[in-house]
Amino acid sequence: MMRRRVDRLGRIALQASYQAHVDAPDAPVLFASRYGDLGRSVELLTQLARSEPLSPTSFSLSVHNAIGALYSIARGDPSSYGAIAAGEETVEAAFTEACGLLADGVPRVMVVIYDEPVPAPLQHFSESQGLEFPHAWACLLAASTGADALHLGCHAGTQAAEAPEAPEPPETDGLPADLRALRFLVTGAAGASRWEHPVGARRWRWERHA
Amino acid sequence: MLELEHEIKRLVIETLNLEDLKPDDIDPAAPLFVEGLGLDSIDALELGLALQKSYGVVLASDSKENRRHFASVRALADFVSTHRTKS
Repeated sequence: MMRRRVDRLGRIALQASYQAHVDAPDAPVLFASRYGDLGRSVELLTQLARSEPLSPTSFSLSVHNAIGALYSIARGDPSSYGAIAAGEETVEAAFTEACGLLADGVPRVMVVIYDEPVPAPLQHFSESQGLEFPHAWACLLAASTGADALHLGCHAGTQAAEAPEAPEPPETDGLPADLRALRFLVTGAAGASRWEHPVGARRWRWERHA
Repeated sequence: MLELEHEIKRLVIETLNLEDLKPDDIDPAAPLFVEGLGLDSIDALELGLALQKSYGVVLASDSKENRRHFASVRALADFVSTHRTKS
């Protein structure tokens, strides 16, 4: 009976959640999405502008934590759930929040990242160059000091401080930021040891073997 | 009345996105909420809006009355047949 409430974005987010959660069903959950279910809000605002009555169901699901809340209800799990949106830094914000929970002593945290193409008439706010598609991914995070540990740091400045003579070429692949982060995470030891993600006056630095 | 019951079943299924149900699966005398179909308070609001759009019935804010009208498909059909302003 819960499934009927969930649209495409929620379905792919929850699919990823259920699959990743299997290995640590007690892990607290962070749902993170840059735009969330924006299409629903656009639809509600359009109806409002036409003085049409709003769908109570759609209204109740238009908040950013609705997908996480439905997941919590469907699992009958009253433990910690969070919903995060932080623009282009959404993945970094989610991982930072996860580090906070791990530092508090939680053994594992599940992070779920999900987004859809920005709907009309807001599509010009999208910074990806046409390579947007509905997607969701989820992972379990645990604190580690071992050789496989990843580090995430935030630094001031728009230039890579340690290699000013060789500025990295701007990323032109047009992928949304969360998928670039995923690419760094899944390429493992064979991939780059570092990925810098400049946002405004900050540089997020993802590192392995650091 | 049977026809109206069938119509309301279809309205319930479409409005509430009950994708696994057919009209014949719904017992017109069974409770719609909590037991029976297992609908909740958001469904009640959604259904109220759909009934208003389709039949022009206006629901009072009296929750006791509404609870009676929303008890089952049959009760809804009774309510709609006596209060409808749209055909």
